[in-house]
Amino acid sequence: MYLVEDLYKSHSDKLGLELIAGKAGMKRCIRVPEAQRPGLALSGYLKSHAHKRILIFGKVEIEYLQDLDSDLRIARLESILTKSTPAIIVARRYRPPKELSIVCEKFEVPLFRASMTTMNLLSKLTLLLMEEFASSMSVHGTLVEVFGVGVLIQGDSSVGKSEAALGLIERGHRLISDDIVKVKKREGSYLEGSGAELTRHHMEIRGIGIINVAKLYGAVCVRYQKSIDIVVKLEAWDDQNFYDRVGLDEKYCDILGVKLPFHILPVKPGRDVVLLLETIALNHRLKRMGYNSAQEFSTKLYDVISEKSGKRSKNQ
Amino acid sequence: MKQVFQVHVRNSMGLHTRPATVIVKLLQDCKSNVLFTCKKETVNAKSILGILMLAATKNSKIIVTVDGGDAEETKVKLIEAFENKFWEELA
Repeated sequence: MYLVEDLYKSHSDKLGLELIAGKAGMKRCIRVPEAQRPGLALSGYLKSHAHKRILIFGKVEIEYLQDLDSDLRIARLESILTKSTPAIIVARRYRPPKELSIVCEKFEVPLFRASMTTMNLLSKLTLLLMEEFASSMSVHGTLVEVFGVGVLIQGDSSVGKSEAALGLIERGHRLISDDIVKVKKREGSYLEGSGAELTRHHMEIRGIGIINVAKLYGAVCVRYQKSIDIVVKLEAWDDQNFYDRVGLDEKYCDILGVKLPFHILPVKPGRDVVLLLETIALNHRLKRMGYNSAQEFSTKLYDVISEKSGKRSKNQ
Repeated sequence: MKQVFQVHVRNSMGLHTRPATVIVKLLQDCKSNVLFTCKKETVNAKSILGILMLAATKNSKIIVTVDGGDAEETKVKLIEAFENKFWEELA
């Protein structure tokens, strides 16, 4: 549940909000990440009035209210406020008509004033709300930025995720979070991972304990957040399993409805996991730049074979 | 077998580093997947940073989900550890 109080606490600076009236309604719930200018509703047309949205009063709304006489003003304002109206924000630091403050106090709807222009306020508020309402989850794994590619390393406990990440950091790559990654879906199409506040940039290494990577390796080795581009699952080498030998078929996994390239990387003594992870990341970059090593090789091989068989058929 | 149950943190200091170490040690040989959920946050109980991230205070409720072959034994062990305050306040 996202309350008006939460919005005020975390974003009042960004939006320049100032509480004017209706403090008692700070616990009202914001149910939809939407805001609206109630122009038409103020004029008395209440059919399909979006009562769950935050109402933004701009120049037009304020001037329209000023043109009405006091009784009508109160009546119209009372008609647009419902139990589910989260809050009212007046833009451009306009002084709200006193009836607006009175009605907000009466209905216990928080009334704010913002310094931004109406359109800016509307778009910024919508963006912030969309961000707050974005679906999110915590995943077990370690997120590292390798050559600019966000690699989420997953696998069972003690398979060596943290050790692999430490090796990557030592080579100049950046840690976002170890063990727990908070994943948020951004703009509905990509995922952004970050660490939890308390354990951010800390790692637990068996035999050493908890270390602070930002202090040990410096600020250059850490990042607050990063988009997740690929998922690599480390697993103990299993002789029975057939691992990908060519790389022509791409596997994908699904996190919060977003499809991500997925690799299974078997580990065993002698395999340099750090180097392998770097290679996976580089190969991913190369693919995005339009070059697929496996595909290219396969095409080349096909050309050679068809050339040879062509020659043979000529000779015959 | 999947087991879901609730435990209470009884230590005065909450789930700080030492109790977290006890839990991780206890689950070291456990084959099941163990998850702790506290205040809508779900973490892997075999990860010490995971448990610490919860920053669970005294009297916090933790929903434990154990999924795997040795779920039954793990449940008994975990409940015992929580009930005995991880044996740290006995002395």
